[in-house]
Amino acid sequence: MSTTSAGLEFHDVTVAYGRRPVLWNVDLTVPGACLFGIIGPNGAGKSTLLKAALGLVPLAGGEVRILGAPLEQVRGRVGYVPQRESVDWDFPVTVTDVVLMGTYARLGWLRRPGPRERSLAAECLDRVGLADVADRQIGRLSGGQQQRVFLARALAQQADVYFLDEPMAGVDARSQERIFRVLSDLRAEGRLVVIVHHDLRSVAEWFDAVALIDMRLVATGPVAEVLTPENLRRTYAGRLDVLDEIGRAVAEGGRTP
Amino acid sequence: MMEFDSTHLWMHFWAIATAATVSAGCALVGSFLVVRRLSLLGDAISHAVLPGIVLAVLAGGRPGGAGVFLGAVVAALVTVWLTNLLGTHAGLAEDAGAGVAFTTLFAIGVVLVSALASRVDIDPGCVLYGILELVPFDTVPILGLEVPRALLAAATVLVVLVVAAALCWKELVFTAFDPAAARAAGLPVGLVSAGLLVATSLATVASFEAVGAILVVAMLAVPAAAAELLVRRFHRMLLVAVALGVAGSIVGYLAAWHFNTNAAGMIAVVLGIEYLLAALWAPGDGIVARVVSRESLRWRVACEDRLASLWRAEEGDAAALAPRTLLDRLAQARLVFGGRIVPGRAGGLTDIGREEARVIVRSHRLWEAWLGRHVALPLDHLHPPAEWIEHHLGAEVRGRIAADLEGDEGDPHGRDIPPEEFPRRPAEPPAR
Repeated sequence: MSTTSAGLEFHDVTVAYGRRPVLWNVDLTVPGACLFGIIGPNGAGKSTLLKAALGLVPLAGGEVRILGAPLEQVRGRVGYVPQRESVDWDFPVTVTDVVLMGTYARLGWLRRPGPRERSLAAECLDRVGLADVADRQIGRLSGGQQQRVFLARALAQQADVYFLDEPMAGVDARSQERIFRVLSDLRAEGRLVVIVHHDLRSVAEWFDAVALIDMRLVATGPVAEVLTPENLRRTYAGRLDVLDEIGRAVAEGGRTP
Repeated sequence: MMEFDSTHLWMHFWAIATAATVSAGCALVGSFLVVRRLSLLGDAISHAVLPGIVLAVLAGGRPGGAGVFLGAVVAALVTVWLTNLLGTHAGLAEDAGAGVAFTTLFAIGVVLVSALASRVDIDPGCVLYGILELVPFDTVPILGLEVPRALLAAATVLVVLVVAAALCWKELVFTAFDPAAARAAGLPVGLVSAGLLVATSLATVASFEAVGAILVVAMLAVPAAAAELLVRRFHRMLLVAVALGVAGSIVGYLAAWHFNTNAAGMIAVVLGIEYLLAALWAPGDGIVARVVSRESLRWRVACEDRLASLWRAEEGDAAALAPRTLLDRLAQARLVFGGRIVPGRAGGLTDIGREEARVIVRSHRLWEAWLGRHVALPLDHLHPPAEWIEHHLGAEVRGRIAADLEGDEGDPHGRDIPPEEFPRRPAEPPAR
């Protein structure tokens, strides 16, 4: 796997919903081949940062580069695991059907998944420990299993950079362990894994580096250097009222008091 | 009822063929709408095409002609576009946006029809309810055959829809299931969604003459919703939806013929009945399946409780409870008939009955002991949960619990936990 020195770069990225900025001036460089955590309180803009990298929300300013290139040039090398609640799990498809979706973009128009894609899907399901539920309807899985189906779909994309949005939310301990193992294997294969994560306890055990986010980048770097009491206090201590107020003023086209 | 001469039969054949074709196209598109939870979009579109039709007729289009068809499709697309506009720019929720857009357009259509009644030959009733029975009278010749214009339009649209669905199958399914991931993977999600809306417009407009603005919603939503209850994979759901739509059209038309009533209305009623039957008989989640599963559990619990009670009586702790409720009595009769309980007033357990009863009592006491060890519960709170869980423990888990309790003799109340298996004794003749 070829990865350039920088896997993911945000250059002065600002994201706004409507006109209101929710993520301010993020300047962040993530090296290649590591487990990278995006950590922060609820509403800090963690998922928004991920979606900005994937082009799912428009940038109000700044630039994102993945593997040294703009997103459009490397889309095929990027895998995405959305939040589990973002889809309807009653949708009439089987586990294998969902994993095969990971091969669709590569297949292109008019081509159907064939034996090669099927064996790839089976292999990915095996990697996440779901080989025995391959033919089950997705609604009949536990939360942890559903999350692993999403991971298997991303594996089937055979990407070099993976983005995961809260993959451990509502997931049992066994699934969590399994997911972290698969992600560590990806890193060992030279891939970059970026994870939006909320559980501080597991950060030191699994992650190489993190970014602490609360509407702006608070700190980034290796886990041991970043997770200091001072940085955590700055991240979790409470909202920066000034950003909230300015954001509202920008949205309304007015002026702050 | 009409007479059975051959001209009439041909008329009915064409009407049924039109209804079935229209229904197949609607079920196809409707399946995508139902899994995307957009069923009411069909409602919106079908109402909103009215002004398009009126304006097209006003511009010189012939009712049922290609120009009017085009006008209707344009009006449908305007609705969709307006809905999106209201959603993204006026900050209206999607359903509210659709509500505003389609009612306004429909109202404009109604106003136009009334105001221009002298210049436009449109019957509002026909627009709302359709007149399937009149479809065979407006024909075009094809290979010497007089084919209804509406059938021709519906068949053309159906072919277009089937081809489009087959070609874009992957993209349609991925986009419907997980639009964000599909977009991140680089699929043209916006284009696919727009395509689905165009397809909905086409299917709706093609159905218009036959079934009208209101009942087309039934054809879009009902067969697909019924199919979703019946099968667990999307391609099968699509086939089942089409089959239900076609079957409902044929049966509905024949029923309307028989009862001499409005065909489109009858078709929608039959589709509704199909849905009801699907909800009742769906495997696993259907109402009947759920009732059967609940009642069979109740029945098993009653039988097992009866056996356990007799076991406890044999143990000498308590007198066997006499069966009181009707369910208890039925269970008693079943157990006597099945050779678990000795017939007669005193009726104790047979050897087989004793084996089964022992397993239940063992499950009960194992669970009490496990709760006593692992859960902070007062002693007198252990019995009710064990009464419940005893019916759900299998041999393997019993073994694991027993291993976990190794060293503890007896349950928390000081009674022995019966062993998993008795050493085989020579069979005794059942005591009479």
